[in-house]
Amino acid sequence: MATQRATEATGTEFSSGLSAELLREEQERELPPGTGPYRLAWRRLRRNRGALLFGAIFLLIVVACLLAPVYSHDIAHTGPNDEHITEQIKIGGKSEYVINTIGIPIGPTWHSRFFLGADPGGRDVAVRLLYGGRNSLEVGAVATLITMILAAIIGILAGYHRGAVDGVLSRALDVIWAYPVYILGVALGVSLAVGGINLGAINVKGNSLFVPAAIIGLVYIPYVAKPIRGQVLGLREREFVDAARAQGLSHLRVMASEILPNVASTIIVFIPLMLANAILLEAGLSYLGAGVQPPNPSWGTMISDGVRNIPAAIHLVLVPGLMLVIAVLSVNVFGDGVRDALDPRAKVRIGR
Amino acid sequence: MRRRQRPVIPAVLAVASVVALAACGGSSSSSSSASSGASSSSASSGKSGGTITQVFGTAPDSLDPGDGYTTQALEPDQVAYVPLVAYQHATGAAGGTLIPGLATALPKISADGKTYAMTLRSGLKFSNGQPVKASDFTYAVERSLKIPWGGSSFITANVEGASAYAAGKAKTISGITANDATGQITIKLTAPYGAFSNVLAFPAFAPVPAGTPMKNMPASPPPGVGPYKIVNVVPNVSYSVVKNQYWTPVPGIPSGNVNQINAKIASNTTSNALSVLNNSADVFDFADTVPPSVLPQVTSQASDRYSKVVFPSTYYFFLNSKTKPFSSQLAREAVVVGLDRNALARLGSGFFVPGCYLLPPPMIGHATKPCPYGDPATPNLAKAKQLVQQSGMAGTPITVWGEERSPRRQFVDYYTSFLNQIGFKASEKIIADATYFATIGNLKLNAQTGFADWNQDFPNPIDFYGILAAGDAILPTNNQNFGQINDPFINSKTNSLGSLYKAPSDQLSAYAGQWEALDYYTAQKAYFAVFGYASFPKFTSNRIDYGSAVLHQVYGWDWLTLKQK
Repeated sequence: MATQRATEATGTEFSSGLSAELLREEQERELPPGTGPYRLAWRRLRRNRGALLFGAIFLLIVVACLLAPVYSHDIAHTGPNDEHITEQIKIGGKSEYVINTIGIPIGPTWHSRFFLGADPGGRDVAVRLLYGGRNSLEVGAVATLITMILAAIIGILAGYHRGAVDGVLSRALDVIWAYPVYILGVALGVSLAVGGINLGAINVKGNSLFVPAAIIGLVYIPYVAKPIRGQVLGLREREFVDAARAQGLSHLRVMASEILPNVASTIIVFIPLMLANAILLEAGLSYLGAGVQPPNPSWGTMISDGVRNIPAAIHLVLVPGLMLVIAVLSVNVFGDGVRDALDPRAKVRIGR
Repeated sequence: MRRRQRPVIPAVLAVASVVALAACGGSSSSSSSASSGASSSSASSGKSGGTITQVFGTAPDSLDPGDGYTTQALEPDQVAYVPLVAYQHATGAAGGTLIPGLATALPKISADGKTYAMTLRSGLKFSNGQPVKASDFTYAVERSLKIPWGGSSFITANVEGASAYAAGKAKTISGITANDATGQITIKLTAPYGAFSNVLAFPAFAPVPAGTPMKNMPASPPPGVGPYKIVNVVPNVSYSVVKNQYWTPVPGIPSGNVNQINAKIASNTTSNALSVLNNSADVFDFADTVPPSVLPQVTSQASDRYSKVVFPSTYYFFLNSKTKPFSSQLAREAVVVGLDRNALARLGSGFFVPGCYLLPPPMIGHATKPCPYGDPATPNLAKAKQLVQQSGMAGTPITVWGEERSPRRQFVDYYTSFLNQIGFKASEKIIADATYFATIGNLKLNAQTGFADWNQDFPNPIDFYGILAAGDAILPTNNQNFGQINDPFINSKTNSLGSLYKAPSDQLSAYAGQWEALDYYTAQKAYFAVFGYASFPKFTSNRIDYGSAVLHQVYGWDWLTLKQK
């Protein structure tokens, strides 16, 4: 019932509901009567081979990164932060230093040890690539979770209550929105990297992955909360909301049981798009020293570490850079597919 | 003085001392080396005028002479703030020779070594046109104590009434008297201090106009007396020095060849090196390391404008002896025993020689005995782990502080990994280069350990021990004794050895044995995890007259000698 209402809902800033007319057309043409919109969306997504292919690539990256400890322990036999500066390894019967006497790291060996070479600190690039991916994805996922939860709460509260509540929340969002995300992210990242987060009982160390995740999660809230608010402003005037109120449901119940299910598709559409943006922002902040803190790897810190070695070892930048491009591209294309599947007429854009 | 980011004075002085002593012994080879080592800027060809650009990997800690203490600060400050005493503008050992600066002659030292008398030259003007008075010197000294400058203990520990003034118990420094009418300046010391003439050569004690705010002014440095003045300061990005129209030439101090020197700060030393290699910038800052990725190109394509120069400098990890885990000597020993100095040398592009003593090799007093904990080039990881266990500090959380720029970041990455290997629980904090030493020098932070280096300010072991290891050098801010070492033996030996001679270098070698004993004691107590001694790049574009450009062992790049071909 709630999802049926969603198809009728329209937002002032963001349109995600499929019109009842269009839905009926589709249902009549392809599905037995009574098929729900999510099932319908899944059928559409399955037909979008491109989106599925990129979704599979992203899944592959996620699995590879999750298997980082296995690769590290059983294949490369070294940890992501283990340095082998003065060690020699044999390649084709020939011994080579991991770092030569003037500091140039060994290139890709295409063997189990230092498959993609060493970084300037004598650490295995392949191991750090996987662990770095894990950190990047973890930060991206947690940041997206933070954004979606807080944006949904703020957007629904502001749109449902309007008036003073809306005024206060919307102005707070405007303040965050007024800053370019990178500048705000760097400012917060640099200050919190030293002191960590200390809010009463919440104490997070500066080098924790939660710090960049929280920063990224925070700076993107307005980009999701505002469209949700707009949608809720329309929903709250619908008859089913009036009916719920007339039955004596509290505001909290109305928001939880009537409004939230109707903005769920919007939230779902935003998730992959936010994930891609969060991964990119994490890489940018880490490159600038305001994200994942060394010696922990992330694709951004790996690019940063490799920049000064471009003339002699360009792979130090290319390898994490390519991984970043593939990961973000795949999640974006898949996200577009999800959006098209849930709402073929929606136009979701995340401002930056 | 030159704090970590820059190499310093002392190598020159130390070398000068050695050369002078050898010359006294009648060694013909020493005199020939001295003459070949000195190269006067006036001897070279090249043209005057034009603008040149120097690229820096790190911003100066402050362009205000009352606060700046890094090599990046000294390079501009030495041309904009000439002190009463200066150094000869020459390469090699000759660069360590003191000459009169704004004073008419070198200080006249009383028989008891406790009174220094000088006369200010007449007709001098600040860069704003204001006449210079003798009392402006007093003001500059007082200002450096109030800010406080990182080397202010040179004054508070030696000049009568200076510590009372610094503590706010006196309105002026009673030991300094200045007569504006005659230009006479007299400084009374509490005890003889052989290196005091060198102390007077710090730009921190160059006159500034009385009334200059008693606070650090990094973005708008105060007027000074020098061939150039600092302008167009964009903090952490760029600044320039241009000719000072009020400069009155002083014998021995060149008036500078180029019209303007632009300083550009960019943390990417690879692009900095490439820009000098490709002649789009002119001078590579000597305190930066030429990145390994471009070093082969530099050595092959610019062999006529690139060389390595050895300055007395020590690179180390400080160990805070006042807080866990390094309050335990066993924990400190573990670090010293297990540190892989060869690994650190590789990270430093081969610009480092492994070592264990605080005093670097060219300096008198550098201990010659084998290191107390074995060959520094052969780490003993097993013993280090054992010592950590014995100390009872295993698992202690440690925050390792470091700078962003390479290879210092890599040093700290390695060091953190090493600490974890031997049984501590270390994590690192990397902060911006420009604020690094000020941050860890804030006593409230109580930093446990981290990267540090010291380039000699003048060729005397007291420059290392008086600032880095003496208890009275511990300051609430701008502290350089990061390990908070307050060892009665070191304090007493530093004081007594600092007072033993009356003039720099003239009797230094007679006490070399005592300095060596102190250096050995310090290494035995493992107060510093010294990992090596550095050499530095002298690297310019092909627009610069390389032969006349002086990489000065005190000033770093001597901007007064730079000229275009």
